Amino acid sequence: MRLYEYEGKMLFKEFGIPVPQSVLIGDPRELDKVIYPAVLKAQVFIGKRGKAGAIKIVNSRQEAELEIKNLLGRVIAGYEVKSVLIEEKIDIKKELYLSAIIDRKLHKPLILASSEGGMEIEEVAKSNPDAIVKHYLEVGEYPEGWTGRWIARAIGIPSSLISKASSIINQMYKLFLDYECKLVEINPLAITKDGNLVALDSKVDLDEDAMYRHPELKKLGISARHEVGELTEREKIAKKAGVPYVDLDGDIGVFPGGAGFGIASIDLIKHFGGNPANFMDSGGAPTQERLRLMIDLLMKNPRVKVIFGARFGGISRCDDWARAICQYIIENKPEKPMIMRMAGNMEQEGRKIFEKYRHEEPELFKDIKIYKFDTPIEEVIKETIKIAK
Amino acid sequence: MAIIIDENTETIVQGITGTNAQLHTKFMLDYGTRIVGGVTPGKGGQVVHGVPVYDTVKECLAQHPNAKVSSIWVPARFTRDAILESIDAGIQIVIVIPEGIPIHDMLFVRKKAKEKGVVVIGGNTPGVISPGRALIGMLPKIAFKRGRIGTVARSGAITYYIANSLNLEGLGESTSVGLGGDPILGSNFEDVLKMFEEDPDTDAVVLAGEIGGVYEELAAEFIKTMKKPVIGFITGRVAPQGKRLGHAGAIIEGELGTAQSKITALKSSGVLIAETLSEIPVLVKKALKSFNSNS
Repeated sequence: MRLYEYEGKMLFKEFGIPVPQSVLIGDPRELDKVIYPAVLKAQVFIGKRGKAGAIKIVNSRQEAELEIKNLLGRVIAGYEVKSVLIEEKIDIKKELYLSAIIDRKLHKPLILASSEGGMEIEEVAKSNPDAIVKHYLEVGEYPEGWTGRWIARAIGIPSSLISKASSIINQMYKLFLDYECKLVEINPLAITKDGNLVALDSKVDLDEDAMYRHPELKKLGISARHEVGELTEREKIAKKAGVPYVDLDGDIGVFPGGAGFGIASIDLIKHFGGNPANFMDSGGAPTQERLRLMIDLLMKNPRVKVIFGARFGGISRCDDWARAICQYIIENKPEKPMIMRMAGNMEQEGRKIFEKYRHEEPELFKDIKIYKFDTPIEEVIKETIKIAK
Repeated sequence: MAIIIDENTETIVQGITGTNAQLHTKFMLDYGTRIVGGVTPGKGGQVVHGVPVYDTVKECLAQHPNAKVSSIWVPARFTRDAILESIDAGIQIVIVIPEGIPIHDMLFVRKKAKEKGVVVIGGNTPGVISPGRALIGMLPKIAFKRGRIGTVARSGAITYYIANSLNLEGLGESTSVGLGGDPILGSNFEDVLKMFEEDPDTDAVVLAGEIGGVYEELAAEFIKTMKKPVIGFITGRVAPQGKRLGHAGAIIEGELGTAQSKITALKSSGVLIAETLSEIPVLVKKALKSFNSNS
């Protein structure tokens, strides 16, 4: 779960990592506290914000007000600007790079550092790999004082700043461990003209699955969110209910089981010439409310012409699935056809539920088809595509 | 023989008194899995479907010293504790059902498991099945038939669909392993591939991966050293940019992490890549034919 720059910097402050003086703009009166020239930074989750027009330098309050008006509500690279951070302008002598990450191959955490800051580390890895210093740590181990000092020297930080730099490096790593992050990045870390070190940007990626252990984040105003960036209306409704959902631009509503098959069904629908309207994931053993909400999202999406559904019951049982679909149909009398396949745990019980409701309300169930496990899933997908066309 | 479990493997269930665990304990017993004990702290002395419940894994193993495999059914926040308890007590294989285990917990578990030589499968795995022999987890038995193809996949439902596709074409599975859908897993693909390579009951392996992480790329390195054919199925080809579809995220690894990167890596190791589920049995048959004529 990616944090906004200003949220990351709140955590930096808590760990004693120096950041520029700043004000987050929600209320224009806050501008009274700003000393000009200052830097305006739109809070959006993209790199290279300068080039994207998300960072402006302003010399007066008047100019600041005008630029803030321009920035707020604007959509930059797909992200709506909801807040703007104003910071004191720092005179930069040199830009460096620091991060704490997990090496996904070795399953070990490491500190990455580079004398080349201000650009994406992937670019440095390509253009000048020798400029990157890597220091691996054991899982759960905190760095010693010498670790920070050694890394600082290895990326060319002068002797006069070695204690400050070492403290920033080790505190960054402490933040990474204490808040169980996936990533903490300071890029750039600036050496200022007056000989100080300041974290000019922050990138903090939290592990949403570990957030229950950090209620203190809530006090800072950081609460669980699922994706990087802004969500569509339907995505917001889904997120509120805890359903991973992504809007796509097609006309076939996808009502799969878990994430894995959800991803596969999008591929398969495209492969056979159809267009999926969404990605969705029921999660393991979904409740009746969650399942009904999933169907409702698709039924109410004007783009959706037909719904493709699949349940291979493991921990998510077929009878629960059938009950949710039938109740939704009885209560809402939807008109969109549903082409589905159901197999797996509690399948017989699930079929009985469908048959009972179909018998009672044959008209409502005339466009509802449910195949068994002896029909390949591809055939079910092809039939759905035919109806959509 | 199969891998990981067979009809003789004695197993225990941690968190056996939970609703889902009770239901699936019943399914596992019905399938023939030898569940000798269960563990739930504070519920020692109870009995679930005839299985005695203990407060700790150590007490359970004192009564059932041959138990080798444990499956974990506790909530994600207690999973690290439960796995470490099993590792310490002397369990050899731990199968981790819960999903959403904190990343740093799993990094620690991997480290401890490695030190003790314990195999951890999952989290967010549907489990492991050696069809006709034994089943651990919540895989639906209807999807599987005994045969000579090993399968290993990151997603639960994909595991079922692959077996289903193989069975519809007259093939069957020696063992099907759910590697798990969480970002940091207890085992890599190659840990399982190695077992299949050495298993006399397995002729070929189907590997199914998806976008995110680098487990497929790591597998590609190992596959170069394998004799048995591997058929691949990778999902997330048309996944929208910058939006996560349920599972693991990307991290600095250059170009690694996309479906294309995984497909390219696997292809370069000689893996035949299926475009659809029903193409999998076709490629398996093709690979077996050329493998048999070569050897």
